[in-house]
Amino acid sequence: MEEGERPRSRARWVARTDRRRAPKQGLGASGLTTLKTTSTTDRHDQPVAPTLTGAIQRPVDRAPDAAAPAIRLTDVSYAYRTSGGSRPAVTGITLTVKPGEFIALVGANGSGKSTLLRLVDGLLSPDTGSVELDDQVVAGPDPRVGLVFQEPRLLPWRSVLDNVAFPLELAGWARLPREVRAREMLDLAGLHGVDDARPHELSGGMRQRASLARALAPAPAVLLLDEPFSALDALTRERLNVQLQQIWTATGTTVVLVTHDVAEAVFLADRVAVLTGRPGRLSGEVPIQLSRPRVLDRLDAAAVSSAASGIRELLAGDAERSR
Amino acid sequence: MNRLSVLIALVVGLASACGGGATPSASSAARTRLTVGLGYIPSVQFAQFYLARQAGYYRDAGLDVTFNNQTDTDVIQLLGQGAIDIGIADGTSVIPAVSQGIPIHYVATIYAQFPNIVYAKGSSGIKTAADLRGKRLGTPGKYGSGWIMLQALLGSAGLKPSDLDIQLYPDYGQGAALAQGAVDAATGFVNNEPVQLELSGTPATILHVDQTVPLPGNGLIVGVALGSKRDPLKAFIGATLRAMKDVAANPQKGLDAAVAVVPDLGKEPTTQLAILKATIETWSSDYTKAHGAGAIDRAAWTRSVAFMAGLSDSPISGASPTIDQLVDESLLQ
Amino acid sequence: MTVRRVLREIAPIVVGAAFFVLAWKAVVVIGDWKPFVLPAPETVAARFVRAWTEGTMTPHAATTLTEIALGFVAGAGSAVIVGYALARSHLAERVFSPYIVAAQSTPVLALAPLFVLWFGSGLLSKVIMCAIIVFFPVAVATMVGIRQVSGDLLEMGRAFRASRRQLLLGIEIPGALPSIFGGLRVGVTLAVIGAVIAEWSGADRGLGLLVILAQGSLFDIPLEFAALATIALLGVALYLVVVVLERRLVGDRG
Repeated sequence: MEEGERPRSRARWVARTDRRRAPKQGLGASGLTTLKTTSTTDRHDQPVAPTLTGAIQRPVDRAPDAAAPAIRLTDVSYAYRTSGGSRPAVTGITLTVKPGEFIALVGANGSGKSTLLRLVDGLLSPDTGSVELDDQVVAGPDPRVGLVFQEPRLLPWRSVLDNVAFPLELAGWARLPREVRAREMLDLAGLHGVDDARPHELSGGMRQRASLARALAPAPAVLLLDEPFSALDALTRERLNVQLQQIWTATGTTVVLVTHDVAEAVFLADRVAVLTGRPGRLSGEVPIQLSRPRVLDRLDAAAVSSAASGIRELLAGDAERSR
Repeated sequence: MNRLSVLIALVVGLASACGGGATPSASSAARTRLTVGLGYIPSVQFAQFYLARQAGYYRDAGLDVTFNNQTDTDVIQLLGQGAIDIGIADGTSVIPAVSQGIPIHYVATIYAQFPNIVYAKGSSGIKTAADLRGKRLGTPGKYGSGWIMLQALLGSAGLKPSDLDIQLYPDYGQGAALAQGAVDAATGFVNNEPVQLELSGTPATILHVDQTVPLPGNGLIVGVALGSKRDPLKAFIGATLRAMKDVAANPQKGLDAAVAVVPDLGKEPTTQLAILKATIETWSSDYTKAHGAGAIDRAAWTRSVAFMAGLSDSPISGASPTIDQLVDESLLQ
Repeated sequence: MTVRRVLREIAPIVVGAAFFVLAWKAVVVIGDWKPFVLPAPETVAARFVRAWTEGTMTPHAATTLTEIALGFVAGAGSAVIVGYALARSHLAERVFSPYIVAAQSTPVLALAPLFVLWFGSGLLSKVIMCAIIVFFPVAVATMVGIRQVSGDLLEMGRAFRASRRQLLLGIEIPGALPSIFGGLRVGVTLAVIGAVIAEWSGADRGLGLLVILAQGSLFDIPLEFAALATIALLGVALYLVVVVLERRLVGDRG
């Protein structure tokens, strides 16, 4: 095998009880891939992350068959089984996400946002309904999906570089190519000079950047973020929001961002879906009519304000209903 | 009234003078205290000491004797430190101890024959040391007086311990092992294991080392007290040898004295008597018959020192001690 | 590491040792102890050097070291496996916990004579004693360590499609290593004690046996002390090995 070539015969043990094999890589055809660049190291149609300076196009612009939705949830519900009985988390969720779209899920605590994200990721399996990725039913964590948690969840005994390279290591990449890729991702996430540092030496914001870099390392077509910046201070959060927009613009990944921060949702997303109630239901969607690229100080105040109030209405409306 | 009291005083005074005899400290002055280290457990083997005390021999000699129970090793250490005055311990231990600078002397022979022996069942066909070649032999450990005895015994037949199948019984279970046939021969004490074997109905063959290398058996050993308590120690030895003569003549008396100290011994009088008789046998040898009880055979000591110095793992440190450093006969009468 | 830094690290140890030796010497002089009861430090030092140069100490030290090494590897190796099973299997824990607790309360050292009786006075009885004495602290430390591995990290691993084996080797074991090494530190010092005490119950060779020989047969008390010093040094050296390994494998985690 040569450097950079992934071992294709490695059996992927899917960490789920139903053990159905994950669907094969069908990345090229549907246009969901991150892109081909002028890089010559890519020889096997493997996803290779572009650098910011490469020739980049958003997939929506170029893929002719982009009609197929990236993510489709149909009447999905899930309840947690506890010793005290069952606790429903979400119910009747129907949602479609287009490839390359940036969608935000907003809701109060307990509305099932994190549960929904895990259903999309395949860590949980829906009680009713179906979750489909690229027209295939999700049967477990998929290599096409990257997940960024609320906490950085970096392995404290590894360097930052080795942490970012972790998913590639799990997938069987050789040392050199995965380190090259990890460095690229750290660059993309705005982390410089910390390759050999340990996670505990980094600030909270830097750790979340590293977690982001890690999720991007396998060049996922879909990026899921579970309130990634909620534990950080407001200034860092703003900075990371800007960075996230840059990354999304550069890679064209489909992004689902779960957050309880309305301003964050409005700044980043094409569309905001609102989850309310216990168990959580989709009470509505608000499209965001802000042009890209969005600069923090130069946003259209009226559009922001109307979108935000639309979202808040949806949130409050259900709060009233549930009283 | 006056004359009566004078007469009484005179009689009392005469009586005390006569009663004191050669040792004036008898009833008037305080008796000399001696701390004596006997073996690890009180047993019938120390019958002569118990008898000497109960029959008043020590008291008559002006001594107030306390018996301590210690292992052989501790006896020698305590003598060197001056914590006890006199003790009974194995003769072969004296040699390495003196070579290490411990200030002790062997002053009276108690066991004129070396008590460590090798024995086997009479039916085993083992009659001499040479017959031990290739056999399984049980012993507590590869050290101590038993190990030295074994090397001497085997050496007489041109054997080394590696020519046998030595099995270790650190818990002293080699006697039981022999009785059950797990080993063909075993080391032991002439007045213990073979006696038990014979009492159980199996005749035993015993191999002694005395004809090969006349190792010094257990005897009375004195430490630093030799300088300061010479006379009381001499008296102690004399009284003890006297009691030994009594016990030899009448073993039952010895057993009774021992039972008085350790009542449990009275539960097995046959066994204990047999052990005592075997012990009494080791008290005398040709040398003691010729030179008196307790006599120390210098020639035997010289040969023993030479033998131990010649061992590959010699316990003697540095130059071999001289016989004068090891023994002192001046306390024998 | 600069020379100055090394010196600074070693200085307290050296000063402490010097105090110890001086205090010892003072005791000997003031109490007027004879060398065959409490030898002076220089006597022991001289005897120590002589015992090594004459080759007296070497076979005994080699034997004891071998016993400890084999016993430690066997005991710690099986303990990590059992500890992992106890951490991840409720059934295993419920079945074996009572025995583990009972065994920890029993003085294993008291079984030494039995081991010699059952397994002979050669290496085997000592290796078994060391293995058993090392087993319990390491098994408990492994169980505790595995249990406290963050569920969040494991979920992260599953999200990135880690196999069971990858979760074990990549997250569970490294996460449990600090705790496991705590158990190993305790275990290694216990192993030294275990080997020596097992030797006291019967051995052909070994430092424990040398202590008994020196005291009881040879009346060479300086040699007894030299053997004890060797045992202590062996314990310290093995402990340092574990510490160095720990630094390398556990590393800097904050």
